[in-house]
Order: sequence, then C-alpha cells, then structure tokens
Amino acid sequence: MKKFAAILAAASILVGATACSNSEKAGKSSSNKDPITLAVWGSSPSESKALEATVASYEKESGKDVKIEVIQDNFQDALTSRFAAKNAPDVFYLESYAAPKFIKSGVLADLSKDIKNQDDFYQPLLDSFKDKGGKLYAAPKDYSTLALYVNKGLLEKAGYKVEDIPADWEGLVKFSKELQTKLSKDQAAMIFDNTLARNLSSLIASGLNPVTDKGKADFTSNQKAIDYMKSLVDGQKAGYLKNPKIDMGIDSAGAAFGTNKAVMMIEGNWVLSALKQEYPDVKYDVLPAPTVNGKKETMTFNVGYAVAKDTDNKKGAVDFVNYMTGKGQKQWSEMSGTLPTRQSVTKEMKIDQDPVLSAHANGAAYGTVWSSGVNLPTISQAFDNQLLAAFNGDKSVEKAMKDAEKEANDEIARQE
Amino acid sequence: MGSKRLQNIQGYSFLLPAMLVILVFTLIPIAYAFFMMFFKVDLLSGARTFIGLNNFAKLLDDPKFWASCRNTFRYVLFVVPIQTIVAMVLAALLNSKVKFNRAFLTIMFIPTLTSSSAMTLIFMWLFNNNGVMVNLIDQVFGVRIAFLNNPDLALSVIMMMNIFSTVPHFMTVFLSGLQDIPESLYEAASLDGANAFRKFMNVTVPQLMPITFYVVTMGLVGCFQIFDQAFIISDGTGGPQNSTLTFSLYIYQLAFNSNDMGRATALAFILGAIIFIVTYIVNKWLKADEVNG
Repeated sequence: MKKFAAILAAASILVGATACSNSEKAGKSSSNKDPITLAVWGSSPSESKALEATVASYEKESGKDVKIEVIQDNFQDALTSRFAAKNAPDVFYLESYAAPKFIKSGVLADLSKDIKNQDDFYQPLLDSFKDKGGKLYAAPKDYSTLALYVNKGLLEKAGYKVEDIPADWEGLVKFSKELQTKLSKDQAAMIFDNTLARNLSSLIASGLNPVTDKGKADFTSNQKAIDYMKSLVDGQKAGYLKNPKIDMGIDSAGAAFGTNKAVMMIEGNWVLSALKQEYPDVKYDVLPAPTVNGKKETMTFNVGYAVAKDTDNKKGAVDFVNYMTGKGQKQWSEMSGTLPTRQSVTKEMKIDQDPVLSAHANGAAYGTVWSSGVNLPTISQAFDNQLLAAFNGDKSVEKAMKDAEKEANDEIARQE
Repeated sequence: MGSKRLQNIQGYSFLLPAMLVILVFTLIPIAYAFFMMFFKVDLLSGARTFIGLNNFAKLLDDPKFWASCRNTFRYVLFVVPIQTIVAMVLAALLNSKVKFNRAFLTIMFIPTLTSSSAMTLIFMWLFNNNGVMVNLIDQVFGVRIAFLNNPDLALSVIMMMNIFSTVPHFMTVFLSGLQDIPESLYEAASLDGANAFRKFMNVTVPQLMPITFYVVTMGLVGCFQIFDQAFIISDGTGGPQNSTLTFSLYIYQLAFNSNDMGRATALAFILGAIIFIVTYIVNKWLKADEVNG
C-alpha cells in the first residue's frame, strides 16, 4: 500500500512535469514554423467559405501558412482577454466601432506605411481606423451601409407603387402612417431600430453630433434632432413603426420583411443573403436611405484587418493584410457578397450598376461610419437605455435625452 | 511516525490534482482580484496605475451601481423565499402517496434540465409584445402589457423564469430530506391529534431545517450572481432603464464595455462581501448547526 502511494505520487508529479514540457515544446515548434494566426468572428456560411477560399489563394501564392481561428460569440470580449493574456492573434477582424479603444490602448501595430495604395480605399472607411495624428492601424476589408428595402408585393396590394415612396424622412413617416391603415394589425408599414448605431447619421444630418469634440455626450442641444427622435417615438406609439423584436416577436428585421410582416425596412446589406436564400419569393426594391433635414445620410459599418503590435511576424502579417485588402479583395467580395472597400474593385465588379447593391455602395462616399472615439460605447449605451424610457412613455423624449446625456458624461468622468 | 508521514503524503498526493486546479483557477485569481481593485487597469494593454480606494468611491457615486444593487436585492428578496416555500410544499405533496407522483416528478424536473439561455429565449418568445402571454391577457382582460420593455415588469419576467427553473431542483433536494424524517414522529403527532397542516408545520418544517439552510444558501448565492438571463433578455445592456442590470451584469459591463478591470474587481469584491454577510446572517437565523437532522 505504501509502495503504491509512493509510486502514485511520483507518477502524478512526473505526468505533470512531462505535460508542462510537452506543451512548451509544442509552443516553440509552432512559433518556429510561423503560421500567421487570423482571428475572425463566426459569420454566414458564404462568408466562411469565401474567407477560406481567399486565404487558400494567398497561401498558394505566398507559400505561407495561415491559421484561421473562428471565435463564435462575443468576439470583442474574447479578443480583449486574448490581449490581456498576451496571447493575441497576429491578424484579426476589427470593427471601426471598437477601433478607438484598441488604438488608445496601444496594442495595434502602426500600418501607416505598410498598406499599399491607400488612396484607392473609400476615405471615410480608412479614416475610421486612424488616430488623431493620422496614423493608420487597420485596413478596411468590407463594409455595410443602410438602405431602404421595399416589399413590392405588399406595397402594390395596398394600392401604391414604389415611385410613391418619398425620399425624405418626414415624407416617409407620413407615408408609413397612411400605409398602415391599409395593413392588418400584425403587419408593420415600416420597421425601425431605436439604437444610436442606426440613427447616428440622422442625428448628425439634423445638426446634432452626439459626440462632442471633447468626446463628451450631447443629446439635447439641437431641437431638430429631438424632433427626429420624437418622430420615432410617435410612430411606434401609433403602430406604423414597429420594432421587430419588441413589437412583433420576430428575431430580426430581415425575417419580418421576408415573411411579409413589414412593407419597408431600413437595413444593411447583411439582410441580402437571408432574403435570397430563405425568402426567395419576396420581391423587393432597394432605395437609398431617406434624406434627413434635406441631407443625404446613411450609417456605414466598417470592418478591417488589424495587426497586433506584439506579433513576432509583422512582415508576414502585413503581407497577408495587403493581399486580403488588395489583390484578394475581388475574390473575397464576390464570394461573400460583401461590398469591396476599394473604389477600383467596386468599379471592376460593376457594383455601381447593380440595382440592389448600388444603393448600398453609393452610401460609402457620404455615410457616417459607426465610430466616434473611445467614449462612443458609453455614449451609445446611455442613449439606447434612456430612449427606451421615452418609448415606454415613462419619460418625454426631452427628459430621456437629458438623463442620457448626464448618465453618459458622469460615466465618462469616472473612466478618466 | 514514519507510516503516518507516508499516509499524509499519500493523502496529499490524492488531493494534489484537485488542489492544483483550485489554486490556479480559484485562489490565485481571487488574490489577483484583491490586488487589482486598488488600480486603474486597462485590460487590453495591461497598463495599471495605483489609485487606492478610488474605485470604490467611483462605484458609490454611480447611479448604475445603486440600480444594480436595488435590482439584485429585489430579485433575491422575491425569488429566494418563493422558490424555497414552493419547493418545500411541492416536495411534501409529492412525498404523500398521490398517484403518479413519479410521473409528476419527471415532468416537473424538465425546466431544471433546460439550459437557462434556452429558457430565457422561450420566455422572451412568450412575453414579447406579440407573444402568447400578452395576447392571452389581451383577450381575457383587454389590456396589452409590454412585459419586456416595461422597466417595472422586465425583472419580474426573469424572476418568474428563475423560480420556474430552480424550484424542481430544490424540490428533489427537499424530497430526499423528507424521506429521512422518521415515520414515528408523524405517528406521535397523530396521537396528539395534529391534522395534516399541523404535522407539516410542526414536524416537517423543523425537521427539514438543515436542508432548508442548504436550499436557502444555494438560492442566495445563485440569485446574487444572476447573469445569463439578464444578459440575454436585455442584450447585455441591462435595460430597459437599467431595470435588469444586476451586479454580475454590471461587473461584466465594467470589465468589457468600459475596459475598467479595476472597478469591475472592486464591484466583484463588494458582491462577494454581500453574499458572505447575508449567508452568515441566514446561517445564524436558521440555526442550521443546532438542528438534529
């Protein structure tokens, strides 16, 4: 028995020790061979396939190895913990929304001189990855913009034509109100989204920039912007604007639209794959997002490739990013159905002549990129949280915005 | 002497794997959190500056902290007593010789087996503005209640859901405790002329005290740490109007949205202290150690 115990103790220590040395060896050998690690979030099957194919083309051309790591959920959180653990991937997807935080923390490699042919990118997309000094920290890989989708079948059934739809927001709201009277109770004239992410460009067009030059929140200084938000609140109250999740119990706007529960929606081009694959019978037109206060506006959601500062393979990483956002961009965009960030590729793919995609692609030049400094997450959270109070009728829009402004600015002060 | 030492080595060698795991994944993180709560920490770059008790001062000054405090306590005060009482009563009913009690037990256990995130999605489907519950209430009473975006009701939906899913688990715990109560106690009570209700109050409840203590403690810890349901129902925001913001959810927001690990660990410390104190008080109050179970 004693002997057994001694052997067991020795064995357990030995196993522990060898396990450690094994993992060390594995770590070393992999860093010697140097595959480029690429962290991405899980996305649609077509995007995953497109990524694998484009990466394979790169591997074939360069003879290098790229290891794709898919992080299925809460990408930002997982990436943050990877950085905290000093175990960051070489290259990773970066939303422009999160970019300021990463840039400020100083964990990204400066790519200002490494990315080729920067003038060819749509400049708003490129600018969202720059710091105040103009240094570039990521290369845009694709983007989405918002556009107005119209369900032609429902519209014509209600007795209207696509040409009847006004191009400005005020007209569109009035039109929705009229249209709603011809629909059944569970149908929506238009689907809306009450978050700042979807409405920032409309507020800016109204003359209010919710993020001041000093990075503070401002929701109250402009009456036109308040009126814009009121139009959303009134619309939801009267029932001609509906939130798919809260008012209709449908997971997404695309699903509500595809199942003929909504006539119009202002959505990004990410809905297209669902519309094509899951709801092929729905006939729709895509128009530019409505003008607000007489100005063209849309939101742009931009994703790029960033390189970790601590990577031991910056040269390989930069080479890879240049391929993916340069030579390989056409392959990626064509297969994934995303919009190319380079103007030359947009022309080459004839996207500006495409009846569906052109409304989206034209927005890239004037759209507001969803990114505005390190404090935007705090500011948008306060906005979303308080605007709901206005939708519930607990607070007037003015009061809700005043409270949101205070909530955001107090929190920003605490973070400094 | 020698054999005793060898026995000790033997014991520790058996414990070693578990001790290593506890050390690496529990004790060191706790110690590290103690250290971090006095710093301002940038999680991404790892940069930190010593700011003393400033993290705690910031929290006390923060309306969201107080909102999360209010929500969590409201949640605990509702859920723990209700789930304990309901579980005990159900267990007592199932323990009497009703027909098909096994079948009832099996059916009632299903919610516990369902993962809490799936459960949350089902409840969101039931309670959204066009959901089954809302339409049912509309048909019967003629009012439409917006459960999920009404700040007074959103937390109640989570409470209901948690009671629904934890009661069966605690019920089985009570059931096993009930089977340990000697039949002679009930016979003696019958001879004294006690009816079924008196027997329940004067025999079953006191005899179950150690089990009750376990159920209340686990209920308290679980409720204070409520996270996933609140996260899913509000998409991680704690809305509407901070009404579903709980301690754990706010810790998460501080760490990952505000990139402020120092404040997050300070809040985690406060939460730990609250759970410790409340459990201690409950322990004293229920006199768990003194009951002869």
